[in-house]
Order: sequence, then C-alpha cells, then structure tokens
Amino acid sequence: MWTRVSDFDRMFTAMDQLRSRMNRLFWDFDRSYGNDYGWVVAEGAPRTNLYDVGNHFEIRAEVPGMTREDLNIRIQGNYLEISGTRKADAPEGYQAHRVERGAGSFTRSFTLPAEVDTEKAEASLKDGILTLSLPKSEAAKPKQITIN
Amino acid sequence: MSDKAELVKREETTPERSRRIPAVAPVVDIYENTDEILLYADMPGVAKDAISINVDNGKLTISGVRTVTATGAANWAEFGDVEYTRVFSVPQAIDVDKVNAELRDGVLKLHLPKSEAAKPRQIEIKAA
Repeated sequence: MWTRVSDFDRMFTAMDQLRSRMNRLFWDFDRSYGNDYGWVVAEGAPRTNLYDVGNHFEIRAEVPGMTREDLNIRIQGNYLEISGTRKADAPEGYQAHRVERGAGSFTRSFTLPAEVDTEKAEASLKDGILTLSLPKSEAAKPKQITIN
Repeated sequence: MSDKAELVKREETTPERSRRIPAVAPVVDIYENTDEILLYADMPGVAKDAISINVDNGKLTISGVRTVTATGAANWAEFGDVEYTRVFSVPQAIDVDKVNAELRDGVLKLHLPKSEAAKPRQIEIKAA
C-alpha cells in the first residue's frame, strides 16, 4: 500500500515539474516582447521608484542616455516635477537598420506624501539612473516621543 | 511516517531551478556604415562590471544585470532588478577581435568593425 502512495506521489511530482516548465515556456515567450521595459518617450515618462527613508524621500528614475544638462527638476512644497529631453543620438553617415529607442521630451509630476525641505534637496546621476534625495520638512519628520 | 520523510527527501534531490530576476530584452538601435555596425542598447542602472558581451559562433549576446537596492520603505516602485539580455546574429563579415564597447549614462554602445575583406572597394578601370 505504501509503495503505491509513493508512486502516486512521484507522478504528482512529475506533473508539477511539467506544469512549472510549461509556465516558464510562456514566460520565455513573453520575454521576446520585452519592449515594455525599454525607454520609450511615447509611453509618457520614465519609470520611477519612491522610497521613504525616515528623514528623507528618495526618488529614482530611469533616464538612460540623458546627461545633467538634459534634465530639469523643480520642487515646491510637496510638488515635484521632473522634465527632460532625450536627444536622438543617431550617428552621422550611418544607415539605420533598427530604431527602437525613443527620443523626445517628457514631463512627469508627483505629489509627494509630505512637504520637503527644498533647500537641502540633492540630485545625482549615475549609469542612467537619476537619484533625488529630498529631506522632509521639520513638520513631516518622524518624531521620537519619550514616555514620562 | 517513513513515507513522509521520503517525500521531503525527494523534493530536495530534484531541486527546481527558478530564475528570480526577470529577463527582458533591452531596446536597441542598429546602424551601419561602410566600416562598422554600431549598436546602441538602453540599459539604465547597469554598472560596467555587470555587463557581459559574447560573440560565439555568429551569435552576439549582450547581457547586463541591474540590482536596485531599496532604501527604506517603498511608496511605489515601477522598476526593479532586471537582467537585460538579447541575442543577435552577427554577419560573417565582422572582425570579432576588434569589437569594442563603451557604456555611458546607461547606454551601451557597441562597435562591430567589418573585416577588411568585407569592406566595399572601388575598382579602377585601367586604360588599356
């Protein structure tokens, strides 16, 4: 009897493996249409991440191929606006076989969860990722409360 | 009971390898002139060390891994860890030894020079 159960079990294991392999098949198929992960201006604006790090917010945005001069950042209270232009970098005298990378300009605005201290805001650009560090205003910072 | 133990054991002996990082094809531009083929690929956030470029048996594979280290709590996250990977067929005319790449602002630029034999040649007609 026990051996029979183990046979069933083995069969289910094999079926599980088959199922996960099938799932991966579709996943691999989708991969070839990875264009949604590319940077296309037509889609609107670069993707961003917002992290809340206690005393400050950190915003990261994908801006491949853009330099400091191409980007504009404006903050007012809890309103943030990132705009930029990506220039077409097609080389002179070449024949184009495939052009998937978009060029153009974008503007994206955000309402931050709290007001930020605009004076101390910092921005950096590395490997096509824009990182903004926005310290929260005094009122928005987390406070430690001591028990009397 | 012994059966249960066996069940657990078997799962361990047949581990299922699963990729945790999603792989996507980066968007590319491909240009060509008489001297070379030029390839641009958008790979934002990929460091120089995390990129590998292989030319093997007429196949060019570019691959770059980006890891996004989250700091604090994410209010929203539209991008994350990703493996940019894409395979191209390279014509025979490419001089594989002279392929060179540069990475700037998250854009990979790959120069694929054509071998001397493949370059177009102007043939002069000699007066007889």
